[in-house]
Amino acid sequence: MENKNSYWKGLEELNRDPQFLQHKKNEFAEGIPLDEVFTEEDGGLNANRRDFLKYFGFGISAVALAACNKAPIKNAIPYIIKPENITPGIPNYYASTTPSGCSILVKTREGRPIKIEGNPESPIFKGAASAADQGALLGLYDNERLRGPKASGNDATWEAVDADIKKALASASNIRIVSSTVNSPSGKRAISAFAAKYPSAKHIQYESFSLGSIAEANKIAFGKSVIPGYRFDLANVIVSFGADFLGTWISPVEYTKQWSSNRNPENKKMSRHIQFESHLSVTGSNADVRYPIKPSAEGVYLISLYNKIAGLAGVPTLGSMPSVELPLNMIELTAKELWAAKGSSLVVCGTNNLDNQLLVAAINSLLGNIGTTVDLDNNSNQHYSDDAAFENLVIDLNSGSVDAVIFWNVNPVYSYYNSTKLSEGIKKAKLSISTNSSIDETSALCKFNAPAGHFLESWNDAEPKAGYFALTQPTISPVFNTRQTEDSLLRWADNNTSYYDFMRETWKGILSGNGNFEEAWVKSLHDGFFYVAKTASAVKFNADLTSTVNTAYSAYSTNKTKKELKLYSKVGVLDGSLANNPWLQELPDPISKVTWDNYANISKATADEMGVKDGDMITITGKNGKIESIPVLVQPGQPNNVIAVAVGYGRTSGGKVAVGVGKNAYAFASFSNNSLQYGNFDITIEKAVGDYELAQTQTHHTIEGRALIKEASLAEYIKDNKAGNHDHHAILKENGNLITLWDEHDSKGHKWTMAVDLGKCTGCGSCVVACNAENNVPVVGRAEVLKRREMHWIRIDRYYRFRNKENNNISKEDEYNDPKTGVDFQEVSVLHQPLMCQHCGHAPCETVCPVLATVHSSEGLNHMAYNRCVGTRYCANNCPFKVRRFNWFKYRENDQFDFNFNNDLGRMVINPDVTVRSRGVMEKCSFCVQRIQAGKLKAKLENRTIKDGDVKTACQQTCPADAIIFGDIHDPESEVAKHFKNERGFFLLDEYNVQPSVTYLTKIRNVDEALVAEEKHSAKKHDATKPHDENKKEESHS
Amino acid sequence: MSYESPIRDQLVTGGKTYRDVTRDITRPLENAPSKGWWIGFSLSTLVLALWIGATTYTVVVGLGAWGLNKTVGWAFDITNFVFWVGIGHAGTLISAVLLLFRQKWRMSINRSAEAMTIFAVICAASFILSHMGRPWVAYWPIPLPNAFGTLWVNFNSPLVWDVFAISTYFSVSLVFWYIGLIPDIATVRDRAVTKARKFWYGFFAMGWNGSAKTWHRYEVISLILAGISTPLVLSVHSIVSMDFATSLVPGWHTTIFPPYFVAGAIFSGFGMVLTLLVIAREVMNYKDYITEAHLDAMTKVVMVTGTMVGMAYITEFFVAAYSGVEYEQYAFLNRAFGPYWWAYWTMMSCNLLAPQVFWFKWARTTPWFIFIMSIIVNIGMWFERFVIIVTSLHRDFLPSAWAMYTPTITEVSILIGSFGLFFFLYFLFCKFLPTINMAEVKSIIPTHHEGDHGHDSHHNHSHETAEKGAIHGN
Repeated sequence: MENKNSYWKGLEELNRDPQFLQHKKNEFAEGIPLDEVFTEEDGGLNANRRDFLKYFGFGISAVALAACNKAPIKNAIPYIIKPENITPGIPNYYASTTPSGCSILVKTREGRPIKIEGNPESPIFKGAASAADQGALLGLYDNERLRGPKASGNDATWEAVDADIKKALASASNIRIVSSTVNSPSGKRAISAFAAKYPSAKHIQYESFSLGSIAEANKIAFGKSVIPGYRFDLANVIVSFGADFLGTWISPVEYTKQWSSNRNPENKKMSRHIQFESHLSVTGSNADVRYPIKPSAEGVYLISLYNKIAGLAGVPTLGSMPSVELPLNMIELTAKELWAAKGSSLVVCGTNNLDNQLLVAAINSLLGNIGTTVDLDNNSNQHYSDDAAFENLVIDLNSGSVDAVIFWNVNPVYSYYNSTKLSEGIKKAKLSISTNSSIDETSALCKFNAPAGHFLESWNDAEPKAGYFALTQPTISPVFNTRQTEDSLLRWADNNTSYYDFMRETWKGILSGNGNFEEAWVKSLHDGFFYVAKTASAVKFNADLTSTVNTAYSAYSTNKTKKELKLYSKVGVLDGSLANNPWLQELPDPISKVTWDNYANISKATADEMGVKDGDMITITGKNGKIESIPVLVQPGQPNNVIAVAVGYGRTSGGKVAVGVGKNAYAFASFSNNSLQYGNFDITIEKAVGDYELAQTQTHHTIEGRALIKEASLAEYIKDNKAGNHDHHAILKENGNLITLWDEHDSKGHKWTMAVDLGKCTGCGSCVVACNAENNVPVVGRAEVLKRREMHWIRIDRYYRFRNKENNNISKEDEYNDPKTGVDFQEVSVLHQPLMCQHCGHAPCETVCPVLATVHSSEGLNHMAYNRCVGTRYCANNCPFKVRRFNWFKYRENDQFDFNFNNDLGRMVINPDVTVRSRGVMEKCSFCVQRIQAGKLKAKLENRTIKDGDVKTACQQTCPADAIIFGDIHDPESEVAKHFKNERGFFLLDEYNVQPSVTYLTKIRNVDEALVAEEKHSAKKHDATKPHDENKKEESHS
Repeated sequence: MSYESPIRDQLVTGGKTYRDVTRDITRPLENAPSKGWWIGFSLSTLVLALWIGATTYTVVVGLGAWGLNKTVGWAFDITNFVFWVGIGHAGTLISAVLLLFRQKWRMSINRSAEAMTIFAVICAASFILSHMGRPWVAYWPIPLPNAFGTLWVNFNSPLVWDVFAISTYFSVSLVFWYIGLIPDIATVRDRAVTKARKFWYGFFAMGWNGSAKTWHRYEVISLILAGISTPLVLSVHSIVSMDFATSLVPGWHTTIFPPYFVAGAIFSGFGMVLTLLVIAREVMNYKDYITEAHLDAMTKVVMVTGTMVGMAYITEFFVAAYSGVEYEQYAFLNRAFGPYWWAYWTMMSCNLLAPQVFWFKWARTTPWFIFIMSIIVNIGMWFERFVIIVTSLHRDFLPSAWAMYTPTITEVSILIGSFGLFFFLYFLFCKFLPTINMAEVKSIIPTHHEGDHGHDSHHNHSHETAEKGAIHGN
């Protein structure tokens, strides 16, 4: 039994030879001569042939391997002591607040902030953030920020600078702190502490694009110097006079949330939005009815409207004006609409004109809106500007009566209309300090630079709305040797408390009565805000309006036939403070789709009259200033004889991205009636030499009669919920009977789909910036955008539609360019359509890729495998939606693209979850597949199934209008599944049956046929180029 | 030598003997190159340098060096590719199809036409490589076994079909051409006086000895290769056309494309053959071999194929109108009347109208006029591909994405440079290889010229028997 094996290897085994048994233990039959090698007695190698081959082979391979390693060595250093809360690969979110007062979440990875998102907990901003709020992140990684304090242009230490400044302050007799809006309770305390130490110090708040007269008007009218809290969600009729509240006005994110909440046709009821404006704004493009007006006529419009409403209300009117050629019928209709919705209507005005703001306050008061849609108790603190105080400062500086001036986050040398006078004044001051974070036009003139850091490096608080206290917390240690201004003020006031402790002191007051301070503090810090809303009360209007009539009438009548200039700001660079931000510079303007420039918006009739066309240059001369050679953009919707130019461009200092982009239009602002004016009625225009092509991301502006967008009026929709969308339902039926070449994809598990509500999308561009940040989309610059090579994964198509003489829709280029159709280009309907990869079920791109680099996932996604792509671009050619983007160049570490991807600091913004694409490969929207994976993983870790809302795409997350809905269509309870069942839903190119995963909901406009007809009529009537007689004749009709 | 009815035009004129044929055709090989050759060769080398420079720049910098954009993903690159592939078709048609149809007039032109095919395909292949975003991984569309797991190619993609079509076409054409060259290389070998010439021509003659058995095999393999090549004449450009036809881009998505592309390819190929031969018969004094009868026959082919292509253009318009698809209708209106109208009308006038002059005998037999016409034909055919590619892409479904395309200097340089590549190779061919198939031409020398045909080179043979009874030319 001992030898179970009946086979044996040799006689030795069979015979159980002792010597064999002994060797059997060893692995090798012969011993390995290790001893011989290791015991080198005479210092020489005692190696045999085998060893030689071993060493030789190893040596050669090692050398070969070492020589193969061409890749630069990059060290990933693991944490030796892992910081608490930081797990590599897992993002942390911190609640914070932007300087504009928007509540945000900051996504950080391994200690670096990589994305700003709206804070969904916030009752005011509800998770949304504007393009500018999100873009502000890139400012943190701006390589051109000041790296430390400077004295007279030379690098210095904080100690030295502080000592010098304190010495100078002590001897200064008149000190001025000039800041942008400060609504931070602790910031105000810091200023008070400073003022306590230096009693001559005064604080002046100055905004480049001032809205100061709103508060001023409310002070006169209601005794409250505040910008009211507007409630667009409660308003059933909204009338806006040039207030771009969905784009740039006061608090656009908040207002867009409110506005869109009342734009659900499914409720059979929508707000009616009427816009009177002097350039086509984001808000105007979304209005149900829009009237182009001249800026100088705004006053008479308001007075007429007041009088009509007063007539309805049975109160005395303001006295009639001499004959005005206004479309009074249209004003009457508007007045009727407003009066019918009294208490739930809202009139706003975007002009910084005290009279007009007073009239608006009076109209709202007449309509009983004070306390409902105009809330003077839950007021806004987002903008405060004391234009008169600043005007006086410029005078005082020049007279030498101000010794010391501190500029805090303001750049008036750039944005003040009389920049030369201001610069001379600053030079006269004995002490000038700037705490701006980079060398810009103002800080370059100051003796001391005490740079503040970025808000993501700082502690702060804010009260953007009354009772809404928000906290800003640092998410990264200061990148450079900077110190936030509040800290600087405390140091200079000899207060050595850290601003953090100082702030906690403030909050002890704010949180008093809320139990344990520490608990309440931690909760507020966690939430990012502490909010106690007040109850709104009605306040009686109490002001004399009689003087407004003559002023308004003279402004109207003296300018009737003149050309006027209107300044506005764009959603990207706003007032110019964000001009050094490449994301925002490359963000296409929601209306013109122009990137990297400002331009003169001119109506078609005015352009024809002047003999200019797109790309020609004009020179505009005003009383104070002049713009040499600014390119012309013939803009539909622009009132005749009004030229609109955006501010925020033409920076001469402030970073290589900002400098040299566009022209500075601030010189046309003026100061009158105690406020800064942004409409200029006294200009001359002449054609300049040269031409200039604007970099537009869309160059064809109408839909050519194609069924790519669908719309209907609310009335039609209430009658028939398939209104405007019948062909979709017909095609759907037909497609069901079609034979397809392609196999159906396995559709078990999830199927990710998206719905886009065209009725809600305002075109604001927040999603574009969110996508850029989330997906590491490179900035390519103006020259490349001109070549139509922008890389944005999501674009917002904007289409214009006109009406001909017979009031029929015209959307074909040939037709509207034909003078016979009689299109009035002042009158335009606009539609915004966000376009991302449609993730087609039968994707045309997938079938043509030779190497299977783009394939379908089991969850309905169209994937792109970058490292398999060979770059034939066949997929892009075959994509009917043209959403694919090709890497024409290497966009990182390439001096041709000297933006944030070209320096180490700038590259810190890169999202490590998303590959940075190499040259020569195709890329496109992935439906944020990294977020889908993260959502699934999170659900898995929590041992549950994924639920609706766990996964939000970047564009959806940030959308202030809630126009984008994403989710799993196989979950019948999901929002997106419900949207797919909506009768308004349609697919792009339905008839091609590519089975997109994105459904668009028909745009429903709350138009009233009477108003629309009037809109047409008024546009014609307001055409000041026409002879008077004709106008009068028409008026007798109405 | 073959018998020929006296009423027919002679295929070789000038009373050539076997000896004359050998001497005439080997002359450029055995003598120092002429001044004309030097000028032509230097010029094409210069242009080739432009090609090398521009292509290298593109590969180094990226495809951003071209004028393409998010909407127009192909333009000069694929236009040039299709253009050069099309050029190649005449060579295959002449050597394979006409062989099968026993058109003996092909014998004096097939060698250079085949050479043209090969060089044109090389030019075309260069565009396949350079149009890629990452040309260094150009081998990925080939279904190679690999160690990357399940990576494979997409057999649904017309680009993969292209890879097969072009590589098959190139290899078959090369083999066919080379086999046809062997007897002539052997002739050169036998006449060689230097060691080097003996060695190299001997090497490439592969031990040809002129025996009846080798001639028999030569005939058989020629027929077999002709049989293989013939379907390629139709398949290659059909497959190239499917790059467009299988897509859904309006203006591309057209079932008429395969026959229309093949006709166009033959049209442009004959245009190019005419360009080359009109020069060759002047410069190399081959007027007796490439006679006016040749020109006459080829211009007839040009006229017929040009008209076919023109008919396809008109059919496309009809189908677009008849389809009722607005995108399709717009695409064709945009071609003719949109921003690229000039390209469309250049194409129309060069391809449909211009060749109609060949209804006239004078036009078909006047070399200088034919030369000009051959250039016009190729300009037209280049524009045809440009029109198809660019005007279809630049305005497709969504007006928001509509864009214009303007070529850069780099792209223009690569296009011009590709002619440098082509002519560089062609001039080398003229210098080092017999441009007319001596062996075959000898079989069609008219019998009624009783000359000194005893002095023929040593392989004058039996293969004429293979052609006995053949019905030839015209």
